[in-house]
Amino acid sequence: MNKMEKALHELGEMDDLTAMDSPIHRLSPLAKLLTAIIYIIVVVSFRKYDLSGLAVMLLFPVILFQISGVPVRTCFYKLRIVLPLVMAVGLFNPLYDRAPLLTLGSLPVSGGVVSMLSLMLKGLLCLMASFLLIATTPIDSLCAALRKLHLPSTLVTLLLLTYRYVGVMTEELAVMTDAYHLRAPGQKGIHVSAWGSFLGQLLLRSMDRAQELYGSMLLRGYHGHFHYAPGRRFGLWDALYTAGSSAVFLLLRFVNAAELLGRLVVR
Amino acid sequence: MIEFQHVSFSYEKERSVLEDLSFRIGPGESVGLIGANGAGKSTVMKLALGLLSGEGRILADGIEVSRANLADVRRRIGFVLQNSDNQMFMPTVYEDMIFAPLNYGLSREEAEQRVDKALGQLGLQELKYRHNHRISGGEKRMAAIATILAMEPDVILMDEPSSALDPYNRRIVINTIRGLKQTKLIASHDLDMILDTCERVILLDRGRIVADGPADEILRDRELLEAHRMELPFCLAGEAEEKDPGSGL
Amino acid sequence: MHMADALLAPAVAATMYVASGTAAGVSIHKLRKDDEPQKLPTMAVTAALVFAGQMINYTIPGTGSSGHMCGGMLLSALLGPQAGFLSMIVILAIQCLFFADGGLMALGANIWNMAFYGCFVGYYLIWRPIMRSHWFGEGKNAQRSRIIAASIIGCIVTLQLGAFSVVLETTLSGITELPFGAFVALMLPIHLAIGLIEGLITAAVLVFVFDSRPELLRDVADEGQEMPAKRSLKAVIAILAVLALVVGGGLSLLASSNPDGLEWALFGNAEKGYSENMGLDEDDFGVASVTADKAGAIQEKTSFLPDYAFADNDTPVGTTVSGIVGSVMVAGVALLICLAGGFFRKNKKS
Repeated sequence: MNKMEKALHELGEMDDLTAMDSPIHRLSPLAKLLTAIIYIIVVVSFRKYDLSGLAVMLLFPVILFQISGVPVRTCFYKLRIVLPLVMAVGLFNPLYDRAPLLTLGSLPVSGGVVSMLSLMLKGLLCLMASFLLIATTPIDSLCAALRKLHLPSTLVTLLLLTYRYVGVMTEELAVMTDAYHLRAPGQKGIHVSAWGSFLGQLLLRSMDRAQELYGSMLLRGYHGHFHYAPGRRFGLWDALYTAGSSAVFLLLRFVNAAELLGRLVVR
Repeated sequence: MIEFQHVSFSYEKERSVLEDLSFRIGPGESVGLIGANGAGKSTVMKLALGLLSGEGRILADGIEVSRANLADVRRRIGFVLQNSDNQMFMPTVYEDMIFAPLNYGLSREEAEQRVDKALGQLGLQELKYRHNHRISGGEKRMAAIATILAMEPDVILMDEPSSALDPYNRRIVINTIRGLKQTKLIASHDLDMILDTCERVILLDRGRIVADGPADEILRDRELLEAHRMELPFCLAGEAEEKDPGSGL
Repeated sequence: MHMADALLAPAVAATMYVASGTAAGVSIHKLRKDDEPQKLPTMAVTAALVFAGQMINYTIPGTGSSGHMCGGMLLSALLGPQAGFLSMIVILAIQCLFFADGGLMALGANIWNMAFYGCFVGYYLIWRPIMRSHWFGEGKNAQRSRIIAASIIGCIVTLQLGAFSVVLETTLSGITELPFGAFVALMLPIHLAIGLIEGLITAAVLVFVFDSRPELLRDVADEGQEMPAKRSLKAVIAILAVLALVVGGGLSLLASSNPDGLEWALFGNAEKGYSENMGLDEDDFGVASVTADKAGAIQEKTSFLPDYAFADNDTPVGTTVSGIVGSVMVAGVALLICLAGGFFRKNKKS
């Protein structure tokens, strides 16, 4: 499988996940979007040494994964893109921040190590939250939610159309890549002599395609407006879900639940 | 109903693509538009839809195809594109199908009814909420036809509706086309399909109509077809050979 | 260069959202004045193409490694800066949502770092002035050379600006202990090399388009038809030089004796570090509102809460041990939830 086929596979996987049914899938997209944003903001705002406080935040995605039935494996697969940069930045912390923050037995643990770990945990939690949002919300419902938030129609429509053609274009490039490598065995990438023409050819074809697409839209009465499905209304459950979970997030941000829990045992 | 009266078309500075085309397709008629590559088939379709404009008069359902009447014309004519990916630009089949009815001012309930009706007519109910980039080529072509049916047009234009389909799906598409009661104009190189779906054929060569008559006559006329860079349909080639064993070589 | 949510403080992320949002608003306004309905399909298809095109591996001659294409320059050369910018936003949003490249909260920053510089700086300060200039003389070959020059300079400059912004945003967020100067010294040279490669690849694609259908490119004059140069090239070079001086000067200053210079300058209190920069940033960026005040109040309140191992210095071991034990218990709870979930699902299926 080449890179594009893998991307297509990933897109398909997300489609399959959104087609599932669960109480989370049935929530209004707006409720899920708002909750995810609040969750991420709260997670990111944790102090750099507050590892145990942050750990409690893990419960939210865990619960969501369980209720929605979305497999965690798919999410972890996506970590491979986010984590390297986060780690690259975080790895320097142990080098610069060497003051011991605590000792585990006789082993001193420096502030840098704690802040590095909390940074990685933050990366994981934020990823999980947005993954859960997109795995339980089809793109069209998400676009409808964005319109409800008064995002300009230009941008939302562009997102919808681009999403559709990302699939088409990626597939075409996947085929072209295979065709290229069949005639250029042993080459890892596109040779310098074909740098321009490889994508250029597709680009020229795409311009014609865009014209045809526009024609097809015109023929079906397009005059600058897209109609978004009203989708699920923002009901009582949605309000409860959003308000309830946000309240819990804020509470956990200011009250270290892990600390309290631990004291039950330690003291 | 579609009528071309002395229609000519040329791109700037280039030689003319269509020259003095006149024909009339009556209500309920099924007409095949055939001709070699570059004969002008797509241009005829684009002119009828008002995507291009040339000289002469074009009438669709008695309304002149002109800038002022464009919306009126287009809601009466459905166009099935050769590349279904270019036709289906929304993420799901359902949204693609409801796009046109909503644009033509129907309420969501009415539009939804139309979608269900069209899906039911073609037996595609299970495709309704599927993603466009996750359905097979055959399903995509059928879904594209369904999007057009949801507009409830009087005339349907089709550009190569049977291309790139396996025999099974091609047969499904052919049977679907045969079941459509609308006036149809079908451009294709698949002469067997034209024979199955159309009673009349218009043969184009280099922008001119060189033959217009019953499908059964034109598609059996080997000399005429070969003179204009075409071949007999496969299903008739065998018959012809039996009658005249020498000419096959 | 996609930033993750974890690398940004909420205040910095919000600021970047405001900045990118403003640029997007202006772009949409401009696009609506032009012919938006007709442009949207082209923008969508081109954006999708660039999205997929960025996955192509281009072999770099003489090395074993491969490079990628730069979307911002390509899009603004084809669609113009506003449409290109909006297309880039959509690409970044799809990368963030479906491929976890970047993050929801960091999207504003990513748009700024990659789309804004690539499209607006790349177009107005580099692409257009160079294409309208008389560099390399007249004729098709000169135009080709101008395309190559504009692509390479554009990619290098916009990537440097982007990388610098990444460093600035991360440092302002107090995420890394890496001193600002060292971080910059690490990021900029890497992106100089990347920019050069991306510029060459982008140039190759644009030259191909120029040879086949020059009318698709912005600011490419037809033969015989002269386009007036609105801004002289000298002025542009001057602007770029000043830009380079400011960035470079700032860097050497910071990288020299006091690696924490920026921190001092920004917060006036290096000891406190960044743990409390949330409130400070709001003041810095002048976001004075009821919500900001409230956030400040909350911030104040939390600093009185026992921030274990930090404020509660007397018993650091005791508190952290309970913290660790608590975290372990949380992990246990999480495990229980998973087990329960699995159990219910199995029952449902059978």
